[in-house]
Amino acid sequence: MHDTVVFKNKILPYFLLAPQLIITLVFFIWPAGQALYQSFLIEDAFGFSREFVWFENFVYLFQDPEYWNSMKVTFLFSAMVAVTAMGVALLLAAMADRVLKGAGTYKTLLIWPYAVAPVVAAVLWWLMFNPSIGILPYWMKFVGHYWNHYVNAGEAMTVVVIASAWKQISYNFIFFLAGMQAIPKSLIEAAAIDGASPFKRFWQIVFPLLSPTAFFLLVVNVVYAFFETFGVIHATTLGGPDNATRTLVYKVYEDGFVGLDLGSSAAQSVILMILVIALTVIQFRYVERKVQY
Amino acid sequence: MATVSLRHINKKYDNGFEAIHDLNLEIPDGELVVLVGPSGCGKSTSLRMVAGLESISGGDLYIGDTRVNDLEPAERDIAMVFQNYALYPHMSVFDNMAYGLKNRGVPRDQIKQKVDRAAATLEISHLLPNKPKQLSGGQRQRVAMGRAIVRNPKVFLFDEPLSNLDAKLRVQMRIEIKRLQQEFGTTSIYVTHDQVEAMTLADRLVVMNNGRVEQMGPPLELYERPETQFVASFLGSPGMNFMSARVDANCLHLPGGHQLEMGQAIDLTKLQQQELVLGLRPEHLEACEMPDADFVLQVEMVEPLGADTLLYGRLPGNEDLMVAEQSGKIRYERGTKVPLRVDRSSIHLFDKDSQRRIV
Repeated sequence: MHDTVVFKNKILPYFLLAPQLIITLVFFIWPAGQALYQSFLIEDAFGFSREFVWFENFVYLFQDPEYWNSMKVTFLFSAMVAVTAMGVALLLAAMADRVLKGAGTYKTLLIWPYAVAPVVAAVLWWLMFNPSIGILPYWMKFVGHYWNHYVNAGEAMTVVVIASAWKQISYNFIFFLAGMQAIPKSLIEAAAIDGASPFKRFWQIVFPLLSPTAFFLLVVNVVYAFFETFGVIHATTLGGPDNATRTLVYKVYEDGFVGLDLGSSAAQSVILMILVIALTVIQFRYVERKVQY
Repeated sequence: MATVSLRHINKKYDNGFEAIHDLNLEIPDGELVVLVGPSGCGKSTSLRMVAGLESISGGDLYIGDTRVNDLEPAERDIAMVFQNYALYPHMSVFDNMAYGLKNRGVPRDQIKQKVDRAAATLEISHLLPNKPKQLSGGQRQRVAMGRAIVRNPKVFLFDEPLSNLDAKLRVQMRIEIKRLQQEFGTTSIYVTHDQVEAMTLADRLVVMNNGRVEQMGPPLELYERPETQFVASFLGSPGMNFMSARVDANCLHLPGGHQLEMGQAIDLTKLQQQELVLGLRPEHLEACEMPDADFVLQVEMVEPLGADTLLYGRLPGNEDLMVAEQSGKIRYERGTKVPLRVDRSSIHLFDKDSQRRIV
């Protein structure tokens, strides 16, 4: 017995797979190949000449303190986005799990932000945090704080983290809530009879059982913070001040499309590609196998 | 060790549904009471109110001398065994059993001692380092039991603990539960919808229906003298046969022109011309020779069970399906006519309207 379906027709499967394969080839494999090829080239800004230089772009990158700074910013930023988005989502999910009346409305409202495009979300936060016209700096003035994320690096980072995390909370919330609702009620009741306080019940019973979900979300959030926050950063801080919010992806854009250093930009893309492959491998290796229990 | 008493307990949900009406139950120390009934009868709700997992709308609940209505489940000193076992999947068997003790601040060495002892009683010592996922259904059931006995609580609560086991294991665990309960002498409430389980386990049986107690008492007493038609139909497998009957002189007239002369065993003279419901247990319908027969069953189906044989059929001119249980292996063909005799001393008569017992 086969545990998979076996087709007698040898051609039909390939035919059925063709649309997906063609899309993958044209939009993923080919550009990736181009980037890989380009990372070995040095090109002048106008495209009149190019020279094959092997790994010179990479060597130059790894000697560049600016690149290492960008790397540091990215990891810090990702960690903060993941922790904020997951922490808030977990709290909201724990509360939503207890709601009895109007649970549907409450959940729908919490899921909405996910439908907002990153740039729109960023513009929203940009307006709220704007030092001249924003409502939040206006309030902060009353407690004696003069907010200006165009000048203050820490404040700039705060803005991009909040704007990025805000959007991801909905996604995490759905997964955490689904995870919590999959935990049999009798487990919580058994723990209550066993004398565990609500706090202990959450951290010793619910949370360990959510750990596979949490790990999955950690990977997803890190990938999101790495690769999908360009719009947020572009709309709020433009990577500044003094490159304090210039993540790896933003640097790819700046070096490639603003600085027209296509070789270095391609090399940076290749490094990012390796990172995302690594994250995917981690995800498949551990998430599929389910952590903890 | 403690008594449990439920006094005028009511349960009304927010949507107005009344799940339990005026439940009164006194359970002496060490007794095993089984709540039995069809799904939705309120037996699980009652148990969960004793556990503290469900709020009590009215009445008083005492465990020992303490009124526990407003106490948290943990403060009631009870232990509960759930239908799905409710073992913590991320903890080892040892940690599962130790969790309640840890939360109560029992010193580490004592925890180990208690868990080891409980595990030995249940013969699961070798499973202590395992995770629940690695255990079979029967083993999980034992761990769930272990988690209950390790704390030596005042009351054991069982919520259909055997429903997820296969038939053979169920019988085995049933005996095990009875043995443990007697060994520890702990007051217990056991909820089930399985009447065989109820009959075999109970010191005292409480049959519930629609949120009310239909009847309570020792299992055999309920079996032999059911106070209502519901109790009569619920207990016993295969179920009791019912047919409408009219009294004339000291004789019951059944549909299809059959008659059942009562003789000296029962006096029907006070019930002249009344419409009643006659209840006959399958084992009280005995195959006999033609001259002694009360009526003749036209056999439609035979179920040989080995020790017994069940005959399904109808009386001529009567629509109701009837079951007769004969001991031993007797070969009957479909369509044979089997003369049956009714044991007069064990017939049940119920009022047609109130469905309460008359004789």
